[in-house]
Amino acid sequence: MNLNKSNHWLFALTMLLLVVIGIGIGVSVGSSGLESLQNAWHDDVAWQIIWQIRLPRTLGAFAAGALLGLAGALAQGLFRNPLADPYLLGSASGATLGVALALAFYGGNQFAPDAFVRVGLTGAAFAGALLAVVLTLLLAKGVQHTMRLLLAGVIVGVVMGAMASLIALMRPDVLQNMQGFLLGSTAFIGWPACLVMVYVLLPCLCLAWFFGFAMDALSLGESTALSLGVPLRAMRIVIVLLVTLATGAAVAQTGLIAFVGLAAPHLVRSIVSVKSGSLALLSALMGGLLLLVADILARSLIAPQELPVGVLTAVLGGSYLLWLMYRNQNQGALK
Amino acid sequence: MARHTGMLYLCFMFCLLSSSYAADTTKPAQRIISLLPSLTETVCALGACNRLVGVDRYSNWPESIAQLPRMGGGIDPNIESIVALKPDLVLMAGSARGGERLKSLGLTVLTLEPKNYADIQIALGVVGKALGVPAKDSDRVWRDINAQVEEISKSVPQYAKAQRVYFEVSPVPFGAGDGSFIGETLQRLGARNILPASMGIFPQVSPEFVVRAQPDIIMVGDSNLSEMQARPGWTNLSAMRTGRVCTFTPKESDVLVRPGPRMVEAARLMSQCLVEKSAAQAKQNP
Amino acid sequence: MTKTPTALQALNVYVSLNGQEVLHGIDLKIRAGHWTSIVGPNGAGKSTLLKALAGLLEYQGEVFLFDQPLAYLKAKYRSQQISWLGQNEVTSDDLNVWDVVMLGRLPYQDWMAVPSAQDKQAVEAALQATQASEWRQRRIGQLSAGEKQRVLLARAIAVQASLMLMDEPLTNLDPPHQVDWLEQVRYLTAQGKTVVSVLHEVGMALHADDMVVMQAGRIVHQGACTDLASHRAIEAVFDNRIAIQAVKSDWVAVPNLLRSI
Repeated sequence: MNLNKSNHWLFALTMLLLVVIGIGIGVSVGSSGLESLQNAWHDDVAWQIIWQIRLPRTLGAFAAGALLGLAGALAQGLFRNPLADPYLLGSASGATLGVALALAFYGGNQFAPDAFVRVGLTGAAFAGALLAVVLTLLLAKGVQHTMRLLLAGVIVGVVMGAMASLIALMRPDVLQNMQGFLLGSTAFIGWPACLVMVYVLLPCLCLAWFFGFAMDALSLGESTALSLGVPLRAMRIVIVLLVTLATGAAVAQTGLIAFVGLAAPHLVRSIVSVKSGSLALLSALMGGLLLLVADILARSLIAPQELPVGVLTAVLGGSYLLWLMYRNQNQGALK
Repeated sequence: MARHTGMLYLCFMFCLLSSSYAADTTKPAQRIISLLPSLTETVCALGACNRLVGVDRYSNWPESIAQLPRMGGGIDPNIESIVALKPDLVLMAGSARGGERLKSLGLTVLTLEPKNYADIQIALGVVGKALGVPAKDSDRVWRDINAQVEEISKSVPQYAKAQRVYFEVSPVPFGAGDGSFIGETLQRLGARNILPASMGIFPQVSPEFVVRAQPDIIMVGDSNLSEMQARPGWTNLSAMRTGRVCTFTPKESDVLVRPGPRMVEAARLMSQCLVEKSAAQAKQNP
Repeated sequence: MTKTPTALQALNVYVSLNGQEVLHGIDLKIRAGHWTSIVGPNGAGKSTLLKALAGLLEYQGEVFLFDQPLAYLKAKYRSQQISWLGQNEVTSDDLNVWDVVMLGRLPYQDWMAVPSAQDKQAVEAALQATQASEWRQRRIGQLSAGEKQRVLLARAIAVQASLMLMDEPLTNLDPPHQVDWLEQVRYLTAQGKTVVSVLHEVGMALHADDMVVMQAGRIVHQGACTDLASHRAIEAVFDNRIAIQAVKSDWVAVPNLLRSI
């Protein structure tokens, strides 16, 4: 489809509307179904379920998906590669290693006070993600060469992943908890987690929008962008920072949810053609919607049990992309 | 060993103190949710089975809890279901994010992960306290368990003692070390563990280590047996060749690996295995 | 006789790529308001030289842009003075033609990158010059290779810089459009702009005003395209496999067949 500019707004508004509807549905479904919503006004526990569990979880799912979608769009622009995802710089493995270390030191061991443990897991995941990216940057000696950056990211990812696996195997109690983290889950998002993600999302969106022009110039080629006076080095550093921040914030709260970062920009581009700035914003919206819907399905399909949300994002996003490929092949068009 | 116990006791007191800080421990818990099978069994052993309102998907004993709603697993508890049941006590293992979340929602959460006999005794005491069970009653439960295990160990004949045992917990392989509750039961039954306490409580062993150690008797769950036989060199183990491998059905495996009140049953299963397989050997080498 | 100002001057320029020295001691003067062509065999370092002159590569030595040291110019000023048309490295399919050409106005825009009326005029003019006006809303991914090349040329023209450096600008262009490009360059130099091009097609390159002949990282000859010395230099660097001959009022390069068939 090739929609012109006015339809971009239509697309964005439609998605926003879907998100609002999604939030409404999200608040209504769960193990106790609609009755919690109905009883919320006079039953304390029902109120708690709606306001303290379902609402932050639904909004948090949207925020996490938005962070991942944004990071995916930025990563694809930075590496000029449609197969890039936000975990390419090693942040996923870094977060995993952080969680493994935190679990190993404080997990099975009751010494740690509650507050420390609470900060510990999410803080450790975030710190691990940051550390991995710093190592990647050091290994690649800066952001100048994207190929080197890519390779360094893969190396750091593999090495840190191996270290995390090692810790998990030495400590079987850690292994089980880590598998939960690796699978990715929106089930434990409370208000603090949700708000942290929103506070990270908003400035990232603004910055991504501002740097849109630079990403567009970069898509014409590095030498062209340089010749146009685009501060490539500074821009790359900022984008790497944004990707790391957004990914780290999401992963710290939800674990590793695959596919959202990779698929969201592609889903957007399959419907509208936009410049990089708009692509980043719309990818955030699309990623948020994707994870929101996946979260709703995860807890309503086999209620009162839950499916892993990562499986649903892969199924939802993947089937749409498969359908797109099939449709493109039939039409003989090359995407 | 004594030092270990002391540390662990300190651990649990700390845990008890820090988790009970937010809660009112003067009132015994009336609506209990347990997310660990061994803790479910502990609650029932203390006579509070009827106060359970929800359990995890793996809890399957006693029969009376079969109708209780399942709250997910230990690692992935269903937060909403748990909150909806309005529990005043949630029992779960170790540190999962679920525990943090439940605590942040104002629920009273006790995290216990017994690894050996001392832990189990402490767990009984801690859970008993939270349930309002008088200390003498929870002590009595523990003394009963202990006494029965002693009885079983006394009934093990001489020829069945001093066997070198390898107990495989899961097919990575993870074995039960001397310091685990399984290892301690084996000790009391007079058996020797090829995995010394220095290797850890549930160490991941290299298959080669087991081959070198040449255990007299192997204990494993029946679903893992074929995988075990496929390991290089294992079919040549003398224990394998002479059939001194005890396999346990899933129900029996549950009993064996849960550090709870059914340890007596576990001891019985293990002693039966020891006696059977040693008798076979005794017949072969008169 | 008025001395023609020098648009670009290189003094003793060395460039190393991947630890290997690729350009050895380049001394060069490009006349302003004229079209200079850089020719030479593959691997002579033509593109490298052009990139160094554009300030896109690190180099040792001095490069002067209108008598100002290139290294000390602010990036924004430099990007307004030099327009670069590189080989096609476009990775996006989604930008439309208008947006692509508008990117050429980045040197004049502030952080918000809001197009001014002047920017829009420049883009219109550039689109007309390359006959790409009809495609302004089409996505660049939908264009053929030749059409894409014209759009990229429009993008370079939109910068309205006084110096234009073009690396293989005729790639994928069919003969009529190659001629269009030729006319475009003449028009630009008539306006006083300086054009430097690296061209594969020796025949096209011979239409330039000045010529720089390179071989193995050195400049072998600089001079007017009509000079016979220049022709001999070109033939020499190509091992005399081509011969430069006059056809009517033009110079053309014809194959010099060694073996009779």
